[in-house]
Amino acid sequence: MAASAAIYAGYIVVGLIFLFPLLWVASLSLRPMAELFVFPPRLVPQHPTLAAYHDVLSGSPLARYLLNSVKLVSATVLCALAIAVPSAYALSRLRFRRPGLKPLVMLGMLAVQLISPLVTALPLYRWFSTLGLINSHAAVILVYVALSAPFATWMLTGFLDTVPVALDEAARIDGCTRLQSLLRVLLPVMLPGLASTAILLAISTWGQFIVPFVLLTRDDLYPVSVGILDYQSSSDSVSTHLLAAAAILSALPAMLTFLVLQRFIVGALTAGAVKG
Amino acid sequence: MIAAGRRPLEDRPFLWLAPLLLLLAVLYLYPLVDVTRLSLTDATDAATPAHYTFASYRSVIGSAEFLAMTRVTVVFVAASIAGQLVFGMLIAALVCEGERRHLPGAAIVRAIVLVGWVLPGVVIGIIWKLLLDESGAGIVAYAASLMGARNPTFLSAPVPALFWVTIANIWRGTAFSMIMQYAGMKTVPPELYEAAIVDGAGILQQFRYVTLPSLRGILLINLVLITIATLNTFDMVLPLTGGGPGRATEVIALYIYHLVFSEFQFGRGAAVAVVLMAIGLALSACYARMLQRGRTA
Repeated sequence: MAASAAIYAGYIVVGLIFLFPLLWVASLSLRPMAELFVFPPRLVPQHPTLAAYHDVLSGSPLARYLLNSVKLVSATVLCALAIAVPSAYALSRLRFRRPGLKPLVMLGMLAVQLISPLVTALPLYRWFSTLGLINSHAAVILVYVALSAPFATWMLTGFLDTVPVALDEAARIDGCTRLQSLLRVLLPVMLPGLASTAILLAISTWGQFIVPFVLLTRDDLYPVSVGILDYQSSSDSVSTHLLAAAAILSALPAMLTFLVLQRFIVGALTAGAVKG
Repeated sequence: MIAAGRRPLEDRPFLWLAPLLLLLAVLYLYPLVDVTRLSLTDATDAATPAHYTFASYRSVIGSAEFLAMTRVTVVFVAASIAGQLVFGMLIAALVCEGERRHLPGAAIVRAIVLVGWVLPGVVIGIIWKLLLDESGAGIVAYAASLMGARNPTFLSAPVPALFWVTIANIWRGTAFSMIMQYAGMKTVPPELYEAAIVDGAGILQQFRYVTLPSLRGILLINLVLITIATLNTFDMVLPLTGGGPGRATEVIALYIYHLVFSEFQFGRGAAVAVVLMAIGLALSACYARMLQRGRTA
């Protein structure tokens, strides 16, 4: 019993440490300006109001930033999956002529993810400048896809490995080509794997910062991760509630996606961790 | 046996992999080569032609700023990974222990910790900036004043700033270590614990003699991955301190960015980027070896 009490005490401490910063910012965002400087500070506002959210969404470019992010993220997830599905198929189902090549490709894909996007962003910035591709969403999406496709391939390969080969072999005996067996037979079975991969990609792309920070200079093109930094530098202490509301709004999509699909994500993450 | 050249097209893995490999070659491999090439030039901006020289490395690595940045980065990375590993393991142990006793709430704690991890880095920086507001309205300042501190400084003085940037990074990254170690702890066969209990081991001894040895492989991989993630930290620091005050929290990624985009020292920035890349590649190589060893074992 004492042990259970100790565990619960631990839960409360951990819960507070990780939840309190968010609660505090949420509290700031719900205050009227007059309550920003109350002393002693209190977590629950006396006169909570959604005015800050209204002001931020109607009177600032934040709505535009959010839209840009939605656009960049959805295009990236779709393109990354389109590239990852055939790659995962090859890695899971096809025989490489030299047996060493497959692990090499798999490890290579892991290795590229461990290099900071800043390192590749420097030469990309130079090329894109000369090509006139600075301030192009298409260029940003292309780089995002390169950043996320290896991870998507890695996840989907792991997922396909768990689908019995007999399934697509039956389809091929019935006369399907490999492409047909992938599209008609395997893809429907892979749906849960595709979904969790898409969610993880969406969350990581939503937070992606360096690439748009370097490749976009026009603020009407910023995704929310870069836009909110801009917003912060233009805000001051009397607009703290607005900054807090903007922070909550830019975190909300990623947070909600995570909370709703938590089971999925934790499963995918832990499976990845154990497999390596 | 089908002759090598007669293999049907659709059976060739590299045909299926072509889009991915092409993308990576153009947007990953070639930039890495190009950044290395640029580091050997005196390039300033994209418009001016550059000459080959080794001066970038010499002037950057010998500079006082590089030394200061290295010190900041080492402190930041070492303290971050120590904090993330320790807290990650504690929380993972708490969650596992709770699940073993069928206590409700373990999944909620796990979810709360992970929420911090899915937030965009810039938002995490803003959240901590708001918490650490040094006026009376800041909540950490208020807590400090309750404990008797008068006019505490958090982000406006060098040493506290580095401390709080590290704390924010531990807050952000603990979830990842937690989830990896949680996954690792789940793979420990329960019989091992039962045997330990029969032998009279208490909770701490079970942890020391059963959990820790079983987690060795995962801990090493965890260590490599969070070292890389922390070395690459960039977005969170910008809204929090911007690298300041002065250059007190200018970690390596910020230093590269400043060299290139504020001081227009492209060659030097590229030289430091190559250093960062080399560390990243070396750590990836360690990671790859560990994974392969894990496969064959």
